[in-house]
Amino acid sequence: MTRVRVHGIVKRFGEAAAIDGVSLDVRPGELFTLVGPSGCGKTTLLRIVAGLLEQDAGSVLFNDDRMDEVPPYLRNIGVVFQNYAIFPHLTVGENISYGLRARRVAAERIAAKVEEASRLVQLEGLLDRMPAQLSGGQQQRVVLARALVIEPRLLLMDEPLSNLDAKLRVQIRSLIRAVQRTLQITTIYVTHDQEEALAISDTIAVMDRGQILQVGKPWELYLRPGNRFVADFIGTMNILHARVEGPGHGPSDLAVVTEFGERWQVRAGGQPGEAICIGIRPESLQLEPGTNVTDAWNALKGTVSEVAYLGAVVRYQVQVADSLRVVADIHDPDFEAICGVGDRLTLWFAGSRAIALPGAAGRD
Amino acid sequence: MARRHRDFWWSITVLAFLAVLAFLVYPLAVVLLTSLRGEEKRFVLAENYHRFFAHRYYYSSIINSLYLSTLATLGALGLGTSLAFAVARYSLPGKTFLRTAANLALLSPPFIGAYSWVVLFGRMGLANRALSTIGWSLPTIYGWRGILLVFIVQYFPFVFLLVSAALRSVDQSVEDAALSLGSPPRRTLTTAILPILAPSLTAGALLVFMATMADFGTPMIIGEGLRTLPTLMYGEFINELGGNPAMASTLGSLLILVNTAALMAQRYYAFKKAYNVVCIQPLQVRRLRSGRRFALTLFAYAVVGVALIPSVTIIISSFMPTRGPVMYAGLSLQSYQTVFYRIPRAIANTFGLTAVAVALDVLLGVLVAYLLARRPSRAHALLDGLIMLAYAIPGTVVGVGLIVVYNRPPVVLTGTWIILLVSYFIRHLPYPVRSCTAMLQQIDIRVEEASVSLGVPPFRTFFKVTIPLMFPAIISGAALCWMTTIGELSSSILLYSGPWATMSVAIFTEVFSNHFGTASALASILIAAAFVPLFLTYRFLGERGALGV
Repeated sequence: MTRVRVHGIVKRFGEAAAIDGVSLDVRPGELFTLVGPSGCGKTTLLRIVAGLLEQDAGSVLFNDDRMDEVPPYLRNIGVVFQNYAIFPHLTVGENISYGLRARRVAAERIAAKVEEASRLVQLEGLLDRMPAQLSGGQQQRVVLARALVIEPRLLLMDEPLSNLDAKLRVQIRSLIRAVQRTLQITTIYVTHDQEEALAISDTIAVMDRGQILQVGKPWELYLRPGNRFVADFIGTMNILHARVEGPGHGPSDLAVVTEFGERWQVRAGGQPGEAICIGIRPESLQLEPGTNVTDAWNALKGTVSEVAYLGAVVRYQVQVADSLRVVADIHDPDFEAICGVGDRLTLWFAGSRAIALPGAAGRD
Repeated sequence: MARRHRDFWWSITVLAFLAVLAFLVYPLAVVLLTSLRGEEKRFVLAENYHRFFAHRYYYSSIINSLYLSTLATLGALGLGTSLAFAVARYSLPGKTFLRTAANLALLSPPFIGAYSWVVLFGRMGLANRALSTIGWSLPTIYGWRGILLVFIVQYFPFVFLLVSAALRSVDQSVEDAALSLGSPPRRTLTTAILPILAPSLTAGALLVFMATMADFGTPMIIGEGLRTLPTLMYGEFINELGGNPAMASTLGSLLILVNTAALMAQRYYAFKKAYNVVCIQPLQVRRLRSGRRFALTLFAYAVVGVALIPSVTIIISSFMPTRGPVMYAGLSLQSYQTVFYRIPRAIANTFGLTAVAVALDVLLGVLVAYLLARRPSRAHALLDGLIMLAYAIPGTVVGVGLIVVYNRPPVVLTGTWIILLVSYFIRHLPYPVRSCTAMLQQIDIRVEEASVSLGVPPFRTFFKVTIPLMFPAIISGAALCWMTTIGELSSSILLYSGPWATMSVAIFTEVFSNHFGTASALASILIAAAFVPLFLTYRFLGERGALGV
């Protein structure tokens, strides 16, 4: 199993830095995901690890070996590309055995390994087909098998699911995860889809503008985002502004006044008078019809401006103030309690569900 | 991967630059400089140009050339576009035949087309003599009318193919949207469909314009003394009373100027008007009521029929007994016997030189295309531009340039076969370069990266993955290269010497010495030789693969 370390990588395209001093430590055998909006540098970083792109500064280490001078064809990496990058002139079997033939593996060994790999990705019986005869999902399986059959020290995947439809995406996603667990192969996975990242990863790194903003387990990023960008990018987050009044009822609570005058007790740290940012996930909010509420609640009063009924969940957009609209997901809603557009209501949440976001006094 | 060192690809860049500079840029520069040189070999700016525009004998040539090319372009554009629309949009019988026939019409070189019309409607022409027996006579085929007829018939298939290909990429939704927004059919055509075709229409127009400007053989054979820029240039250069290289160069420079200006204008326009069209559902084929369907069918078959007349005439007449320019009814292999007995050398020369030139073009073309598509740089953009220059420069000009440069030490090539090879090679290099570059731009670079990441070094990846994927483009580039090289006349007529005459030169001289039978036999062999690669490309790549113009 390979540990991958990346130290101070810088990559410039002309004047602009696509990667601006990135360091990472990927533990052996884990599925490590780089997630971020398009243009954040995640694919560039992946290509640098693969050796397909040369960094301007910094180094890449596999275990204790520096890879900077090693050309891509000697790195022994399996790469799965966004558009499959299948060899259209070769059969499925020839595609899968391509890397083995390059390594001059004996023919009978190749046959056995191709057979095994095709079983692993559920492609049995299709080895003689041409890629054009395959569906998108099957093509992606071929590419996965092709990358795995060379027993790479590392697997790199660049948006492997982006060309598949929603149903297949979930199918192939769990296939990838299962195969990765079975083989215990260190994997770096690139995606712009935060949901996909949460579902598949051991560890996630959120990237923006060529920098890593936060690295952590999926639930760490979701429940304890380190800054507004991560809070916003991973899942949906309502962000409100407040000022610290003083210590709250509980030992780790604060009493705060929100920008529109509500008094709240939230789990956060801060000095009296300090401006802080509070994030609340839509599913942390509870709904109470009407606006007569006690002070004991962390409450938000507003008017429903949109309702999306999704069956298990009702997603409300609630206008709290002119400049603030809050999203609330109400699970398992009561038949009688479903509100319509224009209804006045109160949203409330437990103080422990508040997420304090550091260093963000301004609205943006 | 991007490490800059002097690797294999670096040497290809150098080699390509050397070839283009030595065989194209330098000769053209010498032509341009010679045109500026005065009688006493001093630089007298514009003296030759002044003479050119002062004498009707000279300046009429540019007027004739521009006039003929403009009319031919308009004619070919109208005919080709109409036929493309008829075939693409209406339910006509035998569409495959129509498309194939249009392709076949491209096989005979233009000067052979000209000659075929002389065989039919010339003074001793088959049709003329047949008609005179019943007391009819036709207006003369010689002169500018004949040239124009040959040009239009010869070149409208290019427009047809280009526009047909472009029509296939227009989505039905474009038309539906325009109609649903209240635009009547005619307005929809002019405001929604034609603008999308603009790049292809202008590309076709450019092709016709440049080719007719450069055409040397057609006006020589059917023009009867009508002076165009290439024929006058040839006459000034090869003059029995002593050539005038300065005036020839002046005419050549004007040709370069006109063609490059046309090329630039089209590139600029097409660049501005290039749209990304996504075609999911091609334009619908409409049914017509029987009357209109009959009329349109008649039109389509008449047009294609006329386009096939030259090839058919040549092949039939090659099997007729002849005496001089007069052909008699009957079947005879007399002409072929004469050809194989008297001029077997020309046939061997043509096939040998063409094969070598095409092989070199394809070899360098594939490598250069890889450089252009995969290693973009300023140097490579310049290389691209210089190679494409060959496309705009008439063969007569290239021929004169090569002679002027390579007829004196340090390098003497005149009188050898090498100078013919050089001309063929450099003039037709754009075809494989273009077809392969276009193909490479469609091949996802990640396919190559996948191969590299699987352990195959870049250079071996090029052969194991890139070349196989480029194969259709290599084949169609080679076929196009072969078809255009094998009937090349305009530079061959200047560059050949003694034993190195080619079939095109032989046909030309046979026509001028009134040996129509042998000319037809040679021309038939040429047409067959051009047909074989086209046929093979069709068989293996299908209609779209062939002729990636």
